[in-house]
Amino acid sequence: MSAILQVQGVTKDFGGLRANDNISFSVEKGELLGLIGPNGAGKSTLFNCIAGVHPVTAGRIFFEGKEITNLKPHQVARLGLARTFQIFVASGDLSVLENIMVGSFLRTRSRKIARQKAEEILVFMELQEHVDQWVSELPVAAQKRVAMATALATQPRMLLLDEVAAGLNPTEIDQMMGLIRQIHDDRGITVVLIEHVMELVMNLSQRVIVLESGKIIAEGKPEAIKQNPEVIKAYLGERYVAKIAEAEGKA
Amino acid sequence: MEVIRNIFDLSDIPRKDLTVFGIFSLFLLIFPLIPHSSFAMATMIEFLMFSLYGMGWNTIGGYGGQVDLGKAQYAGIGAFTTAVMLIHWNIPFWISAPVGMIFAIIWSFAIGYPLFRMRGHYFAIATIATSLVLLDVFQSWNFVGAAKGLELPLKSMPSLLYLQFRSDTYYYYILLFLFFFGFFYINWFRKSRLGFQLRAIKDNEEVARSLGINVHWCKIKTYAIATSFVAVVGSFHACYNFNIDPEDIMSLDLSILIAMMAMVGGAGSLWGPIIGAAVLIPLKSYLGSWLGGKEGLAGLDLVIYALIIMIIAAFEPRGIWGIVEKARKRGKI
Ligand SMILES: Nc1ncnc2c1ncn2[C@@H]1O[C@H](COP(=O)(O)OP(=O)(O)OP(=O)(O)O)[C@@H](O)[C@H]1O
Ligand SMILES: [Mg+2]
Repeated sequence: MSAILQVQGVTKDFGGLRANDNISFSVEKGELLGLIGPNGAGKSTLFNCIAGVHPVTAGRIFFEGKEITNLKPHQVARLGLARTFQIFVASGDLSVLENIMVGSFLRTRSRKIARQKAEEILVFMELQEHVDQWVSELPVAAQKRVAMATALATQPRMLLLDEVAAGLNPTEIDQMMGLIRQIHDDRGITVVLIEHVMELVMNLSQRVIVLESGKIIAEGKPEAIKQNPEVIKAYLGERYVAKIAEAEGKA
Repeated sequence: MEVIRNIFDLSDIPRKDLTVFGIFSLFLLIFPLIPHSSFAMATMIEFLMFSLYGMGWNTIGGYGGQVDLGKAQYAGIGAFTTAVMLIHWNIPFWISAPVGMIFAIIWSFAIGYPLFRMRGHYFAIATIATSLVLLDVFQSWNFVGAAKGLELPLKSMPSLLYLQFRSDTYYYYILLFLFFFGFFYINWFRKSRLGFQLRAIKDNEEVARSLGINVHWCKIKTYAIATSFVAVVGSFHACYNFNIDPEDIMSLDLSILIAMMAMVGGAGSLWGPIIGAAVLIPLKSYLGSWLGGKEGLAGLDLVIYALIIMIIAAFEPRGIWGIVEKARKRGKI
């Protein structure tokens, strides 16, 4: 396997605050990688550095062997690296289908083709019942699926998902888990997910990276991460141990 | 051809709206045949001009959400290009109007490139400033008549080529042609790739960027489209009035009035600028003729426009069309 994304020594300062501290890792083509860590660990900041939202303070980033350090967000998207935002605000006057069409218009000028692609993804993301609704009218779970659908419509080869399961109920988490698995397995898209919902991230990920205070403190298979005393101490604490026991009980 | 089909594709619009628009179009077509006063004709011509101004403004201001209060500078560029080319080189409207449009577009790029780095209110204020600067330039530039402006030479015969007619009816039908041309162009635009991207930008710029949209460039392109509409109407204005004066065609009043068409009628909707012009222009004509005779009341019309803007901003930012759509959602229409 070859690396689709390489992050080399990325550091990001906000004034005096070091949000990412010399972070290095790579993502293999076709991998499903989990990125976890406590609030404020710097996970979203790392996505923003990769996607070009923030210029990095130091370090380099490569996507499919091409350097993307400090490219603009739209340039990164055009190269085939899509992302969703932790906070998704859609105020406006686009319907669900129109939102997804905005994504598919990245690869075509034709309204007809953009619409066909968007309809296909709409069905794939189980949004048929919402097709003509405004995004702001939808329940959280559906809004998250719209954001993912819109990103998918740009036909990415890699997708960064920032907390798409936050605020969902157990049924919706199951649905989301199934969808992420399909995006990865059936569409062959490399996925990195930031997630606080342990059940989801531990079930889906082939490998997990743990971030704390801007640094990588652990990396490995989900089973190993669950056992890693450093991780348990730094981030997860008693609550997590209980959750895992519960999750294992379910399985 | 997909494009041709898209231009005339009104399939997402309710039947009722199309019926109303159809009847209204029919009225526009036969209006000159109905007995009318010259005051009514002049008002109708102004209505068509301001619909077109408004349609242009609505692209960047309505669909794109970038409030532009400097459109008069482009009307001025169009009008003066047409006047100067006629006076100095005897060049007909149908050539000078596209040339004026090209000048206006070039100027819009020079303005738009730095201005679209600004956001919200800063952008709006900067558009006012640039328009006033250009007004100053024109007022002291002798080649374009400076503060006196220019008088267009009268042809000895009426001429379609030079857009000089003895009867307003001819001007009316030329404008009506431009009106439908503009309408169907906007109908295509709103669902084109650029239209979709622009609406996404209005929604959330950061998300738009993440979808591969070059936000800055999209705004500049759309600003140029808005500019083209305004410049052509400016050129028309020169031929229709025979007399142009920078204080008039490049004034802040005109810029605000252009913005008001879509804001009052419904920003970001296909009908908005037409509804706005249909409501505001008769009001403006009436106020103008009424206030004309009353010393000391000059400027009252501006006060009234300001009031209308405040009412819209406070109660229904989507204007008259927003009220209609809300009522429709509640099932009343
Ligand atoms: N644009 C910004 N300007 C200044 N500080 C920022 C900015 N974005 C993030 N930070 C800070 O950087 C640190 C890392 O934030 P980040 O959002 O990356 O954390 P996170 O791991 O995604 O947390 P969470 O799980 O709560 O989403 C925080 O201390 C945050 O306050
Ligand atoms: Mg975050």
